[in-house]
Amino acid sequence: MLANIIVIAVIALIIGFAVFRVVREKKKYKGNPACIGCPYNHSGEGCNRNCG
Amino acid sequence: MKIALAGNPNSGKTTLFNAITGRQEYVGNWAGVTVEKKEGPLKPELNREKADVTVVDLPGAYSMSPFTSDESITRDFIRDEKPDVIINIVDSDNLSRSLFFTTQLLELGVPVVVALNKYDTAEKKQSSIHLDWLSERLQCPVIATIATKSAHNSGLKQLAAEAIRLGLSDYRQPAPHIAGTRHAATEADFEKADKKRYEFVSRIVADVEHRKVSSASQTAQDKADRIIASRWLGIPIFALVIWLVFSLSQAWAGPFLADILVGWLDAFQSWVAGLVSGVNPFLSSLLVDGIIGGVSAVVGFLPLIMILFFCLALLEDCGYMARVAVVMDRFFKRIGLSGKSVIPMVVSTGCAIPGIMASRTIKDTRQRRTTAMLSPFMPCGAKLPIIALFSGLFFGNQGWVGTSMYFLAIVIIVVSGLIVRRITGDASKESYFIMELPEYRWPSIKRAALSMLVRAKAFIIKAGTIILICNAVIQILQSFNWQLQLVGDAPETSILAAVASPFAWLFIPLGFGLWQFAAAAITGFIAKENVVGTLAVTFSVTRFISVDDLALVGGAGEVGAVFGIGAAAGLAYLVFNLFTPPCFAAIGAMRGEMESRKWFWGGIAFQLSMGYTLAFLVYQTGTLITTGAVGTGFVGGLTAVLVIAGVIGFFMKRGSKLSESMEEGVHFAG
Amino acid sequence: MMTLAQGTVNQTYVIRDVEAKDSMRDFLFTLGCYSGEKVTIISKLASNFIINVKDARYSIDEGLARVIMI
Repeated sequence: MLANIIVIAVIALIIGFAVFRVVREKKKYKGNPACIGCPYNHSGEGCNRNCG
Repeated sequence: MKIALAGNPNSGKTTLFNAITGRQEYVGNWAGVTVEKKEGPLKPELNREKADVTVVDLPGAYSMSPFTSDESITRDFIRDEKPDVIINIVDSDNLSRSLFFTTQLLELGVPVVVALNKYDTAEKKQSSIHLDWLSERLQCPVIATIATKSAHNSGLKQLAAEAIRLGLSDYRQPAPHIAGTRHAATEADFEKADKKRYEFVSRIVADVEHRKVSSASQTAQDKADRIIASRWLGIPIFALVIWLVFSLSQAWAGPFLADILVGWLDAFQSWVAGLVSGVNPFLSSLLVDGIIGGVSAVVGFLPLIMILFFCLALLEDCGYMARVAVVMDRFFKRIGLSGKSVIPMVVSTGCAIPGIMASRTIKDTRQRRTTAMLSPFMPCGAKLPIIALFSGLFFGNQGWVGTSMYFLAIVIIVVSGLIVRRITGDASKESYFIMELPEYRWPSIKRAALSMLVRAKAFIIKAGTIILICNAVIQILQSFNWQLQLVGDAPETSILAAVASPFAWLFIPLGFGLWQFAAAAITGFIAKENVVGTLAVTFSVTRFISVDDLALVGGAGEVGAVFGIGAAAGLAYLVFNLFTPPCFAAIGAMRGEMESRKWFWGGIAFQLSMGYTLAFLVYQTGTLITTGAVGTGFVGGLTAVLVIAGVIGFFMKRGSKLSESMEEGVHFAG
Repeated sequence: MMTLAQGTVNQTYVIRDVEAKDSMRDFLFTLGCYSGEKVTIISKLASNFIINVKDARYSIDEGLARVIMI
C-alpha cells in the first residue's frame, strides 16, 4: 500500500512539474503551450506569433 | 536605454546581436533571415555602467526612403519607439552600397555608431579602410568588428562602450551635407536626393577605401558558382546535398548514436520497472510504460534530430542557400513560384516555424502565401522519428525510404503549386528574380554545434513536458472505460478507443483504420513527435530501436507484428502524417503569414485533402501490387477522394475562367 | 541600345536606363543599380545572370536582364 502511495506521489510530481512548466511557458510567452521549448519563439518580448 | 541594430540584409546584425546579448536568435548566411524584430538585454560584461540596456535586432533594409522601401519595420521602429542610439552594421566588403543606408540613418538626429563588420574578410582581401577618415566624413564613431569572433578581439566591447556612452548623452547626431535631402517631398525630389546620396557615398569610398582587387573581377568562387548554379549540374548537386544530409542523420551516424542512447533509456526503464514491481498494475504501467516508455520512445530519436540540425546549420552558414534559390528558380517559375520559395522549404526540413516565417521575404503576396502553405510538406525534424520508425519497421531500415520522402515532398509541392496557381487564376507573368549572392565561407563548426545543442535542449524540454503530459493522458484514457473501471486486457473498450474510433473509421480506406493510429495522428497536431509516443503507449511497445541488433527493429520483428498492418498500410500512414497540416505551433505561424482567413482555411483544407488522398493512393496501389487485390474500404475511400478531386477541380476551373477575364497584374484581395 | 541580356561575360557596362515597373526600379536603385552606374556580367548560366553592382554579387533572371539597358 505504501508503495502505491509513493508511486502515485512520484507520478503526480512528474506530471505536476510538466504542467507547471507548460503553464509558466504560456504565461511568460503568451503563446501556444505546444510551443514550449521552441527556440524561435523567445524573442524577448513574448511570443509574437499568436499561435493557436 | 534602447540600442537599435540596423543595416543591410546579411551584414551580420543577428550574429552581432547574439554576441552582445547572449541570445541564440536564428542566423543564416543569406539576405532575409530575420523578418521580425528581436529584443534582448545587453550582456552584463559589456555593460559596465550597469545601465538598463535593451538591444533590438531589426530586419535588414537597403533603404528608408518612403517611396522606394517596402521594408517598413526599421522605419516604423525608429519613428515610433525612438531608440537612444543606433548601431549601424556595415559589411566591410561593401561600403559602396551599405553607406547609402548609413546616410539615411545619420539624418534622424539619433546618435549613430558604425560597426564595420566582417572586418576579417576585408583584411583577407587586403583591402584597407581608413577608419579615422571614414569617421570624420560621417561625423560618427566607426569601429571595426568581427562579430563571429569571441569577445576579446571582436571589437564588440569597444562598440558597446561607445554606444552606451552616446546613448546616455544628449548628443544629437549631425546629418551629413547632402544636397536636396532636407527638403525632399515628392517622389522626384527623393530620387534626385538619393542620387546625390550615392554620389556622396562614392566620394567617401574613393577616399577611404583601397581595394587590391576589383570586385568586378572573376574569382575562384565565381568559377565554383558556374558549376554549382549551372543549368545541368545545379539540381543534381542539390539532390546530392540533400541526400547526404539526410543519410547522415537517418541512416549512418544518427541510428548508430541513437542505439546507444536507447540502450541507456531501456536500462533505466527496466530499473524503474523493477522498483515498482509490487505496485498496483495500472500505476506501475502509467509510470513505466506511459510516462517513461512513451517519452523514451521519442527521446530515442534525439541523435537523429541533432545531427540533422547540425548539418542544416552548416548548410545555412556556408552561403549555399542563395545558390539553391538560383538553381530552383527556373524550375519553380513554371509552377508560379520563385526560387526564393526554396529557402523556406529547406529551412522547414529542420522546423516548419522558421521556414514559414522565412517566406515573408517573398514580395509577391500570392507566392508568399503559397510558399507558407506548401513549406510544411517538407518533413520537419519532429517528423523524423515517424519516418525513421516506419522506414525501419516495414522496410528493414533501408536509407532510400527516408530520403524518398523528401523527394516525394518536392514532387507534391510542385503539383500543389500548379494546383494553387490554377485556383487563384494568377495571370500575371511579371515577376522578376533577384537574389544577392553572399560570399561562400567555411561554415563555423562552433555555430553549428551551438545550434544543434539549442535544438536538442528545446527537444528535451518539449519531451519532458508536452509530450510527457500527452503520453500520460493517453495512457490514462486507454486504461479506463466510461464507467471508470480498468479495462485491463481489453483496451478497445477504453475511453480513448471510443473517442478515436470515429476517426479510425475514416481511415479504413487508407489501411490504418485502427483507433490507435487515429489517436496517434490526432496527438500529432500537438507535436508531431507525439505520433511515435502515442503509438508506443497504445500498442504498449517501447523499444523501437533494438539494442541487440543495433538497428531499428525491422520487418518481421515484434513491433511490426504488434501493429498488425502490412507494409502498404504502414507506408500510407507515414505519408498521411507527413502531408497533413503541421503541428498547432506551425499552423499558427501559417496563419500569421496568410493574413487572410480564406487562404488560411483553404490551406488547411488543402493539406488535409492532400494527406488523405496520398495515403489512399499509397495504400490501395500498394495492396494491389503486393496482393493483386485492392484493400479494404476501397469504394468508400475512392468516393471521398473523387469528391475531393471534384472540389479542387471546380476551383481550378473557376480560377482559370477568372484569369481569362482578369487584367494582367490584378490579384485577389483578402 | 543593348540590354544586359545581350552583354558578354566579364565585361563592364554603364547602365543607361532601367525599364521595369516602379517598385522593382526603385528597389534596384537602392542597390545602386541605376542609370550612370557600372554593372559587370560575371557569369551567364542559361536563364540566370550573375552580375556585380557596387561591389556586390547578385543573381538575376533573364526577365530582369532584359530590362536593364546598357
